[in-house]
Amino acid sequence: MMLRFAGYFAVLENWVLSLTFVSTLTLAILQIVFRNVFDMGFLWLESFLRIQVLWLAMLGAMVASREGQHIKIDLLARFVAGRHAQFSKVLVSLFAAGVCGLAADASVSLVQFEMEDNLMAFGEVPIWVCQLILPVGFSVMGLRFLAESVRTVRGGNA
Amino acid sequence: MGGLGSALIAVFALMGAPLFIVILAAAMLGFYGSEIPLTVIAIEMYRIVETPMLLALPLFTFAGYILAESGLSTRLVRLTEAALGWLPGGLALVAFVTCAFFTAFTGASGVTIVAIGALLYPALQQGGYSERFSLGLVTTSGSLGLLLAPSLPLILYGVLVQQMDLGVEFTIQDLFLAGLMPALLMIVLLTLYTVVTQGRVAPVRDGPRPSIRKALWAMRWELPLPVVVLGGIYSGFFAVSEAAAITALFVLVVEVGIYREITFKELPRITRDAMVMVGGILLILAVSLAFTNFLVDAEVPQWLFEQVQRVVESPLAFLLLLNIILLALGAILDIFSALIIMIPLIVPVALQFGIHPVHLGIIFLANMQIGYFTPPVGMNLFIASYRFKKPVSELYRATLPFMAVLMVALGLITYIPWLSLGLIID
Repeated sequence: MMLRFAGYFAVLENWVLSLTFVSTLTLAILQIVFRNVFDMGFLWLESFLRIQVLWLAMLGAMVASREGQHIKIDLLARFVAGRHAQFSKVLVSLFAAGVCGLAADASVSLVQFEMEDNLMAFGEVPIWVCQLILPVGFSVMGLRFLAESVRTVRGGNA
Repeated sequence: MGGLGSALIAVFALMGAPLFIVILAAAMLGFYGSEIPLTVIAIEMYRIVETPMLLALPLFTFAGYILAESGLSTRLVRLTEAALGWLPGGLALVAFVTCAFFTAFTGASGVTIVAIGALLYPALQQGGYSERFSLGLVTTSGSLGLLLAPSLPLILYGVLVQQMDLGVEFTIQDLFLAGLMPALLMIVLLTLYTVVTQGRVAPVRDGPRPSIRKALWAMRWELPLPVVVLGGIYSGFFAVSEAAAITALFVLVVEVGIYREITFKELPRITRDAMVMVGGILLILAVSLAFTNFLVDAEVPQWLFEQVQRVVESPLAFLLLLNIILLALGAILDIFSALIIMIPLIVPVALQFGIHPVHLGIIFLANMQIGYFTPPVGMNLFIASYRFKKPVSELYRATLPFMAVLMVALGLITYIPWLSLGLIID
């Protein structure tokens, strides 16, 4: 059940990520056309594009944590093997999950503050809606790190 | 408490915790220690939306991923071979120029070695160069071109420094101009080295010289790209993010629509792969905005400057120290993380020593470029080892002479600021 949900969610994530990019590219091109051909600029388009970059960043990072593709240094990890490696991997995943949890909590309070202020990012879209990707992203990444630690414990030397 | 926490975070970093987690944890520890609510971290991260230049990052990355999977590498090698192959040391020059150009557009993520190096390695050996020389050449060339527009590390450096608000004005265009002469210097020195040491290798040709006309014709759809993009950027006609959007669209239309070397079916995968890389980099950038904020609050750059000043007094000595640190760093860290972590610390210190931020950027990237194949852990050594099925130890030996040549170039770039600044400051 959990696994099937995770599978659907991964597909959804891939699509949202790709479509966000398609929308970014399309709007960036439209902006150039408007600016140079019709000599028009839209303030909301500018803001929307910048917010999309944040969403691309968080969505891309979510997929990266699903595939263990985050940039890391891991100088020590190359010299540890067997049970020690497994143990350190569990510790690292738990640590990462904890940090993501704290970051999710911090972003939730940011969203709450913004909801009180209810300022608009562009048009009728409030800033807090644009910020939602922060708590969502950190929660998803945190859960993934947690799941990874469980998998490592279960999977023996894998 | 702070000391213990920092040590713990460092251990987790070395054990393989993702870099963004490490920076995030350090920022949290710092703010917690100063009794500032952690919400400030989320506020700082959201500042990403205040940096319009960042739009260029996903767009250029996407274009680079598409180009890397297309047949551009083959066409590019054929064209440069027809144009330059007849010169003494010509084939090596072909390799340097093609790699530099390809890397500028695709980033030095190892794609150059896999796509271009794989074509050139057998060609070089057929052309009479020794196996070791050819191996060293293609591995070294994998990061050549980092200093040329529109390379992403160069753009990222500009973005990072500009949002620090240092009171020294420069544009991304300035950076692009600044990289021209140093990159050219590297190519010239490498070619000279080739001619001097491999002098007896005559340009061998089986059959007629490849026709430039045919090679140009094969590339007719791709040729406008550098003209439009580089011309647009260097002349200031396009903003960098606009050039990025045009490049992405252009590449998409040409490689998918006209050459049809990439099918529609492959696009979602390529897009996803590119965005995963972008996400990884931007997330590190976002959390480091928070961390930098803490560093500045705690006056760490000022403290660092005072410490450095105790050891070195002259700007020259500082630059020497910087080169040593950066070379080591470039071998361990990937270029984007190195930029994001080190720039907020180094730039304020360098400014106090009177070094121009544009010059510093070029020095920084030139170091990183060499770091890519610095033993024992330079990333391109492993990529080449994997691609050409050679033990890494053999690559250490093969790249060493090239590294020496580039060190000379680095020395010149570091101590002759004019090489970087000559084109931008009258």
